[in-house]
Amino acid sequence: MPIYRYIDRASFVHRLHPTVKVLGLFVVFWSVYWVDKPVAFVPLGVILLTLAVLTGSAPNFYSLRWLFIVIITSTTISWMFVFGHKGAWVTHTSVLLGLGRGLKLAELLAASVLFLSTTKVEEFMVGLARLGVPYRARFAITLSFRLAPLFIDSYLTVVDAESLRGLDFSQGRIIERMRRYVPVVIPVFMGALRKANNMAMALEARGFGANSHPTSFVEYPVRAGDIATFVFLIGLGAGYFAMYLTGFGLIAR
Amino acid sequence: MKPIEPPVDPAQAVFDRAAATVAVELEDVTFTYHGAGRPALTGARFRQVRGEMIGIMGASGAGKSTLAKCLNRIIPGFEDGDFRGVVRVGGRSLDGARVSDVAPMVGMVFQDFEAQLFSTNVEHEVAFAMEQVGMHRAEMVGRIADALGAVGLKGFEGRDPTSLSGGEKQRLAIASVMALRPSVIVLDEPTTDLDPEGTTEVFALIRRLREQGLSLVVIEHEAEELRGCDRLLLIREGRVIADDPPDHLMTRLDLLEECGVHPPDLNHVAARLGVRAHLGSVAEAEALVRKHFPRLADIRADSAGETIETPAPESAAGQGPLLVEIRDLSFSYPAGALVLDKIALTIASGEFIAIIGQNGSGKTTLAKHIVGLLRCEPGKILLSGRDRAAMRPAETAQEAGYVFQNPDHQIFAATVEDEVAFGPRNFGLDPEEIERRCAEVLQAVGLEGARRHDPFLLGKGERQRLAVASVLALKPRLLILDEPTTGLDYREQRRMMSLIADLNRAGIAIVMITHTPWLVAEYARRVVLMRRGTKLFDGPVREFFAHEEMLLSASFKPPEVAALGRRFGASTLSVDEFVNWVRRHA
Repeated sequence: MPIYRYIDRASFVHRLHPTVKVLGLFVVFWSVYWVDKPVAFVPLGVILLTLAVLTGSAPNFYSLRWLFIVIITSTTISWMFVFGHKGAWVTHTSVLLGLGRGLKLAELLAASVLFLSTTKVEEFMVGLARLGVPYRARFAITLSFRLAPLFIDSYLTVVDAESLRGLDFSQGRIIERMRRYVPVVIPVFMGALRKANNMAMALEARGFGANSHPTSFVEYPVRAGDIATFVFLIGLGAGYFAMYLTGFGLIAR
Repeated sequence: MKPIEPPVDPAQAVFDRAAATVAVELEDVTFTYHGAGRPALTGARFRQVRGEMIGIMGASGAGKSTLAKCLNRIIPGFEDGDFRGVVRVGGRSLDGARVSDVAPMVGMVFQDFEAQLFSTNVEHEVAFAMEQVGMHRAEMVGRIADALGAVGLKGFEGRDPTSLSGGEKQRLAIASVMALRPSVIVLDEPTTDLDPEGTTEVFALIRRLREQGLSLVVIEHEAEELRGCDRLLLIREGRVIADDPPDHLMTRLDLLEECGVHPPDLNHVAARLGVRAHLGSVAEAEALVRKHFPRLADIRADSAGETIETPAPESAAGQGPLLVEIRDLSFSYPAGALVLDKIALTIASGEFIAIIGQNGSGKTTLAKHIVGLLRCEPGKILLSGRDRAAMRPAETAQEAGYVFQNPDHQIFAATVEDEVAFGPRNFGLDPEEIERRCAEVLQAVGLEGARRHDPFLLGKGERQRLAVASVLALKPRLLILDEPTTGLDYREQRRMMSLIADLNRAGIAIVMITHTPWLVAEYARRVVLMRRGTKLFDGPVREFFAHEEMLLSASFKPPEVAALGRRFGASTLSVDEFVNWVRRHA
């Protein structure tokens, strides 16, 4: 089960400087933070979907289609009820607000999928480095992408092994079901500890920590396209902040 | 980075000149792991000359890995414990150095290849260690090309390491340590988790590195693979009890077996025929046999064609009633290629079948279908004549049990007894029956004295037997074991196989997934060879080993004694069989 979803293409986004990509991700998060009216999410949504197609990331979006649908519908419904009042749970405002919250989460997810589809782990490291994140923290973040699939595989194997010995995860109340996961959690946890220990040992044996300022094999020159994209992103972030300031992006309550 | 000071004492000058040719030197190294009652390594001393290849052999837990970890400061730098003695690399003491400081001098390749790859492409993986020591990019580019060229991975630069085969991953791990150009490379059981093709690749690479003059330290259970070493160290209970050239140590067969090492079959043959000799190849063995038994001189590979009745463990029922019938089974994982392609297979009561094939050939997927972990669509599986799809888990468990490759994937209980009782309890058996079954299966696997022990404190071999016991407690008529001897030393392998053979004699049909040729030759009755989801061969084990071309195409190296037998036209699968054949004909 791959958690890292990089798709090797030579698109404009793939070639962007990693720092610009990390900035792009940040700008999407920044932009959706300031608005909650559904129509305000449209420009960003169009940009993200266009890039998904242009970068060849559509298969990743397609494989997560149900997650997008669940996020939008469940968030819309739950926020509708949160903002319903005086006995009328479904009002015009609550529907708009619920849909806005759903689109907000969906766009955060879409930006993340686009980022992972177009950015290698090593580029992510470079991007974080330019933003001043310490080396060990950067490495821990990127290593998690490598470790997560191993742990998921281990979990699935343990579930198989225990289910063959009659462990049934589908019966009983929730507390009882949670208790049944003990025979799964312990082997997975013990295996994770062993794997983490082996990995730490292998890392040190390969010189990890020998130098407080490691060099980088991957080097990214800043090109004109990076500067143009940077300017565009700043403009996009500023535009969304302006929607907040002018009230255009907000739902009147 | 803390610098490693060169020796400055003038009195050291003489030593320095001698040390110039010394790659590694250990002086009275003793190490006790934190909380352990006794040292894992006691007074170890040896000296490796530059360009030498040293093999380290010994049982599991004898101290081989501990010794290896002392060479690059993982002990005591990473592992907590009491360390005494001196380790020198290139004449410089490692005292006080960090593990990362030693990386440019001593490279280490571990058994678990998954845990030593950190990057998303091959090129970055090789660059990793060079980045850590602060090397300039221009220098890295040349070294990456050299290292990948040396391990035969040129052209793989952009590949994701997770997409490589096991052998390729291990070669990549070797390239990654080679990039720092260390003077010594330590390989700690580098082929344990590999299939035959991967094992062949890695040992071919080791031979090439040796020819290039690298100093190598290789830890391995199979003595056969270490024949090319300059010297062999044999370790028992933390002590180096022998440090000799292979031709000397490999003829001490009893000592090797006592130390949990699989002695070379050819030397075993020679010894059984009354000749103490170290035989480096099947050709040498053939020459020796013909010399000492002149009456065999006229027998050629194509003249006899004789087959011998096997003295291997007898199967209980032979072709009894059908336990499993698989019809037209095809399977692919979501969005994946076809893993099984129209497989048809029957398993009768009392059979002993070895399923072999490269990683990814569909062996485990097939086994998972039999026990009901995967649904068969299209296709059908009948267990004792009943459609498996319609059976409840408890019913399936009584027909077929599955022991996973890694026992740690199922062990969780606080005591051995609870671990065994887990399955029967889940299936609602009454306490008296559970108690009776626990006693019975623990006795069968030789763990009756460990009922109250914590399973996590058992050795790997014992945990593997516990895993078998916990499946046996459900009384299956067919037991499927996925690589049951991986990670076990020779003594433990023999013990595990003896247990499996006993179960087979008691009437349980056995399906064993394995990569180990001698296990197939000595224990199995029937072989199923899988390749890319299809069944390439299904027949008697003797017939299988007679197909030289097929073995070659499957990268399945037959036991050397089988190859030796073929040179005389005899179908022998074990040392006993060959020796008996010679005695009969000489």
